[in-house]
Amino acid sequence: MMIKQFLFVLLILVGAPIVGGLLFGIDRKITARMQGRYGPPFIQPFYDFFKLLGKEHIAVSRMQFVWIYGYLVFMIASLVFLVMKSDFLLLVFLLGFAGVCLVLGGFSTKSPYAHFGANRELMQILAYEPVLLLLAIAIYAQNGSFLISEIFRQDKPLLFTLWPLFLAVLYVLTIKMRKSPFDISTCHHGHQEIVKGVTTEYSGPYFALYHLAEWYEIILLLGIISLFWTNPLWVGILIALAAFLLELFIDNITARMTVGWMVRLSWSVGLILGIINIAYIYYTKGVS
Amino acid sequence: MADQMMAIAVLLPVAAGFLVLAVRNYYARNVIVIATAIVLIANSILLALRGPFTYTPSGFDWGLLITILDYAILIFYLYVGITLRNWLVLIFALTQILPLAYFEFIMKAHVEVAPAFVVDHLALVMTMVISIIGSLICIFALRYMYDHEHHAGIEKSRQSRFLFWLVLFLGAMNGLVFANNLVWLYFFWEVTTLCSFQLISHDRTKEAIHNAARAVWMNSTGGTAFILAIIYLYATQGGSSALSMQSIIGGGIQSSIAVLPIALLCYTGFTKAAQMPFQSWLLGAMVAPTPVSALLHSSTMVKAGVYLVLRLAPVYAGTYLSVIIAIAGAFTFFAASALAVSQSTGKRVLAYSTIANLGLIIACAGINTPLSIAAAILLIIFHAISKGLLFLCAGTIEHQIWSRDIEDMEGLAAKAPLTTLITGVGILSMFLPPFGMLLGKWIALEAAYMVPLAAIFFVLASTLTIVFWTKWLGRLLQVLPKIERPFEKLSLSYSVPLWTLLIGIFVVGMGIGPIYQNFLRAATNDVVSGNQIIALGLNNLILITPSFMQREILGLFPVWPLYLILIVALLLPLMLIGVKPKELRPVYMCGEQTGGTDTDEWLAEADRKTKFQLGGFYYQGTLGEKRVNPWANAIAILLLVIMLGCGVIAI
Repeated sequence: MMIKQFLFVLLILVGAPIVGGLLFGIDRKITARMQGRYGPPFIQPFYDFFKLLGKEHIAVSRMQFVWIYGYLVFMIASLVFLVMKSDFLLLVFLLGFAGVCLVLGGFSTKSPYAHFGANRELMQILAYEPVLLLLAIAIYAQNGSFLISEIFRQDKPLLFTLWPLFLAVLYVLTIKMRKSPFDISTCHHGHQEIVKGVTTEYSGPYFALYHLAEWYEIILLLGIISLFWTNPLWVGILIALAAFLLELFIDNITARMTVGWMVRLSWSVGLILGIINIAYIYYTKGVS
Repeated sequence: MADQMMAIAVLLPVAAGFLVLAVRNYYARNVIVIATAIVLIANSILLALRGPFTYTPSGFDWGLLITILDYAILIFYLYVGITLRNWLVLIFALTQILPLAYFEFIMKAHVEVAPAFVVDHLALVMTMVISIIGSLICIFALRYMYDHEHHAGIEKSRQSRFLFWLVLFLGAMNGLVFANNLVWLYFFWEVTTLCSFQLISHDRTKEAIHNAARAVWMNSTGGTAFILAIIYLYATQGGSSALSMQSIIGGGIQSSIAVLPIALLCYTGFTKAAQMPFQSWLLGAMVAPTPVSALLHSSTMVKAGVYLVLRLAPVYAGTYLSVIIAIAGAFTFFAASALAVSQSTGKRVLAYSTIANLGLIIACAGINTPLSIAAAILLIIFHAISKGLLFLCAGTIEHQIWSRDIEDMEGLAAKAPLTTLITGVGILSMFLPPFGMLLGKWIALEAAYMVPLAAIFFVLASTLTIVFWTKWLGRLLQVLPKIERPFEKLSLSYSVPLWTLLIGIFVVGMGIGPIYQNFLRAATNDVVSGNQIIALGLNNLILITPSFMQREILGLFPVWPLYLILIVALLLPLMLIGVKPKELRPVYMCGEQTGGTDTDEWLAEADRKTKFQLGGFYYQGTLGEKRVNPWANAIAILLLVIMLGCGVIAI
């Protein structure tokens, strides 16, 4: 049992970046087609990755690389927590640590661009973290446990009762995928800018690590979305993929908004959705 | 044995205080304080090993002494109020002294409570926190006050006086957590208020005295509520027996009548724990030398407030009062965290964070399930360690750069790598996994489902917490030291407390499983007589629902694997890889830098060389005190009125 689980985790850890990289390749292709361009090949992200890996180790600060390792390791740890069906609340905290690492990576340089990016990334954390924590509480209210394994044990999909939070999580996905209108701290594709926010000062292998972490992150996020429908799981995965495609569509029809607007929107609409959702569950189930 | 140990815990600090006051030699004073600290620490550990006991002192009319000292303190407040022409101090001294006189002379109350002291597991936890962390802060203060006076150029040393009140504080706190007799508890309560007044006003500046007076009158409103509760309990519940803490929490009084005095006592706890709207006294206390802040925030004073609210938890369990306490605490957690984001002074960020975390602890007491009580106790311990460390760091930084401003700490890593490293770990330990504070917050969130509104405040507040800590940490770590640069040398009086607390964070954090199993579970059970609610493995923290019938697992917090992740993520890259100097390049500035890699000058308009300045965002417009305070205070006052209203309606 232990060995089987271990092998499964290992498989996910190896497979996640491959699938994640491919997803980003598809992203670039579809986005290009939407904009009437031809677009790079699907495996372009891997070309980029290995190209970056082969470059010289260059840094602008001595602490920068520590934080990018932290970002990667905590992202992987969050994914392992998801795969092992562990505590969802703790998973959110670990994901928060990963975000903090990225911010500190930006702050550790003496670069105005990285600083702006880091400050904005911090605001992005402020925008999405409450929604994820509310999701954890809603899952508890629904299932009586914070464990992801408990979600898998339920026959009725979470989506039926938690659909308002599902909507909120969708825009968390937009923020996390760095898509318009929330591509604020740095954007996923180079839009107008080439100097790219919080990642400005990363180059070469360290920048490759950043990409690797992003690949893990997309799998983690889609995994969280698929939790909304776990029996059978393939429905959840389809929902997650649909959400992914929806993000590409949103990215191409919206323009970037400001940080303040994002936080206000998230703290009003997102929280209201979450609160209504939790209140509804309490109303139907009662506080035990 | 018991009486000696009690005497050491309560009276030794008093004796040592007077000795320090008499001795004017720097080194002799150091020896006394260090010896006292060692004895206190050893004594608290021995007490904990010994386990709970009760004790009533005999052979001397201690009750009479305490009464006399009560009046002495209150008359001193009258004197302070008159000389400073601070009418609030005067009024609230009178509102204590008159009811007290009424109680003693008109009601002719004769309070005889046996046992006078009850040392249960919760009291043991508290005394360990007070004795160990408090003593370390006293040791830190030895050198700090020396530097402080030298920097300020003070001719006539007042260090003796400072250390007297500092050491005395520990004795009063120990007495406070041991006391079972409410009248005695009130006395120790007043002594801590007095100590804080003396320490806050220590520098004798106008601001210091003004802020100290505010601390006194705010805490005096709490003291007034305390006396009213005592009188009410005595009059309605039939004399002395109602003034025993154990009989109050043991259900020995009619709970329907008890709601008002309990609400009053909780109000008292709120004032001392600087809950909104009383936060201003704790913020004002920042003018004092940093060891005072460290002591007030980590192990003493404010912890007395949460101790009282937590201790009373079983009495108000299941009432509306409990729900209101949970919401009021959670609201303070939220509002104080939001205000902390807008602060640019390091000590004020720490202060708001303290207020916020105390709010969290009080909310846990209000949620009032065995799980949340366990969370509250864990948070008291972890907060004391981390916050004690952070204030000592703030003091050390202040004596290196002579500033408290976070913006001035930019690039501190280059000037003082060791201090920065310790501060960095301290900050990380406040809000990130796997450290203890987050563990406590995690349990609190798992328990918070009982009061949904509190849960929502928790969620918002813990996110804001991430923002202000990360901002500060980012400032500290901005410019990194040269690899060849050795660690700076710190005086032993600084480094011993710093290192001890730093190691303490890891030891208590990693060993929380066994510590909980052997020690804290008993403390939780002393607060609520709950079943075995939290099963802890050696390296896993598994929460299980209270009902034994269904052992449903609520959550899982694998402590050791998480520490392993932390080491792999941050420590290993730092130690193994390391960037060699030749790989360092200048940042992207369109080539406008004026020198090499380390330059912080660039060419501004008209090619003028300009120092490069980066700063944090403080969101004054949305989260500044001017904007938030009116709303936050109004809501907090409303919650307080509802809280006391619960008591009045229940009559």
